[in-house]
Amino acid sequence: MSAEHDEDLARRLQRRDPEAIGDLYDRFGRLAYSVIVAIVRDAAVAEDLLQEAFLRVWNRAHLFDPGRGAPGPWLLAIARNRAIDRVRTYDPGLREDPSLFADMERDVLNADHARVIRKAISTLGANQRKVVELAYYEGLSQTGMAERMGEPLGLVKAWVREAVKHLREELGQSVAA
Amino acid sequence: MNCDEIRQDYTSYALGIADDAESAAIAQHLARKCPDCVRGIASAMATVTAMSGAVQIVEPPPRLRRRVMATVEQTPRRSWAGVFVPWAITAAMSIALVAIGVSGRHQLGDTPKLQQALSILNDPATRDAAFGEAGRPSNGRVFENPGKGVVFIGANLPRIDADKTFELWVIPATGNPVPIGLFRSQSDATAVFVWPGPVASAAAIQVTVEPQGGSAQPTTKPFVVTKL
Repeated sequence: MSAEHDEDLARRLQRRDPEAIGDLYDRFGRLAYSVIVAIVRDAAVAEDLLQEAFLRVWNRAHLFDPGRGAPGPWLLAIARNRAIDRVRTYDPGLREDPSLFADMERDVLNADHARVIRKAISTLGANQRKVVELAYYEGLSQTGMAERMGEPLGLVKAWVREAVKHLREELGQSVAA
Repeated sequence: MNCDEIRQDYTSYALGIADDAESAAIAQHLARKCPDCVRGIASAMATVTAMSGAVQIVEPPPRLRRRVMATVEQTPRRSWAGVFVPWAITAAMSIALVAIGVSGRHQLGDTPKLQQALSILNDPATRDAAFGEAGRPSNGRVFENPGKGVVFIGANLPRIDADKTFELWVIPATGNPVPIGLFRSQSDATAVFVWPGPVASAAAIQVTVEPQGGSAQPTTKPFVVTKL
């Protein structure tokens, strides 16, 4: 997706143009739905949560800086937060602040990156892969992971750091900034 | 926490796996708009976003697009200039009225309160949630900013005895309600309550009726509960 497309989409969302939501859905709805399904594992619940995520974008589009933001990544963050909140009480806090998506690499969601991330995760060690899965799909705190895995908290934190470092290196500076 | 201490937690915060105390400390730090840490967290958010690429793709049912579209088309098409600003003005006016009309001893002291409220209301990081329905008992809106505090605006609030007070609580993601402050309604059953200060991991806000002086934990069923 080009920067111009992103900017135009964000501006139309701010103008409350419903077709902009349709375009956002066509570009990212399938991926956002897949993220939610992967977390809640229930299609009916996923439909409710995806609807909720789009409504949140619709109601908060005024906070977005069209010239710097990436609506797709923002939607995905909201979708994941809604899903994790469903499986455990979860406070997204500032993680849905649109400013955190300003200047985000615009092709962060392209097919090449998807291939890279899948390969990178597949090459992680078992414990590192486990903490990535517990983090991404369950939003489990590091303390919760330590309890679940029966391992010291310090070790779990080290696995998380190492795993993420590996993913960032594989994704390259364009994402790791 | 300073920048060096926070730096190692960028990704755990972005993933939402930092513990509550760490998350609260990072949120407070970010609320101060530290440019280095905002960039660091944003970069970590990009990594988390990229992780969605590992998800197995599932086709949503075709009806879901129609459902999403129908939902947004049913919401009012007012511009945000017509929605958000009046709330800020309403809050400002209400606070000003409180300052002038309710308690003489607060007349000077409420100028900072007004500034604090406007600072919360106009911060992009502020979350808000409505409660109740217009014209029905106990309706209004709550604004919450992790680094700045809470603004509660209520109407049609219940009448309470002179020896009672309203108490506002933050409900964290885990753990017991945290008492935030006490307030009373005006003669027209409205109230604007501003609490300036960091709010740790608020998942919801509730209001109860408590004995004068407040309680350490709620002693009555909340008449306002709103999830953020």
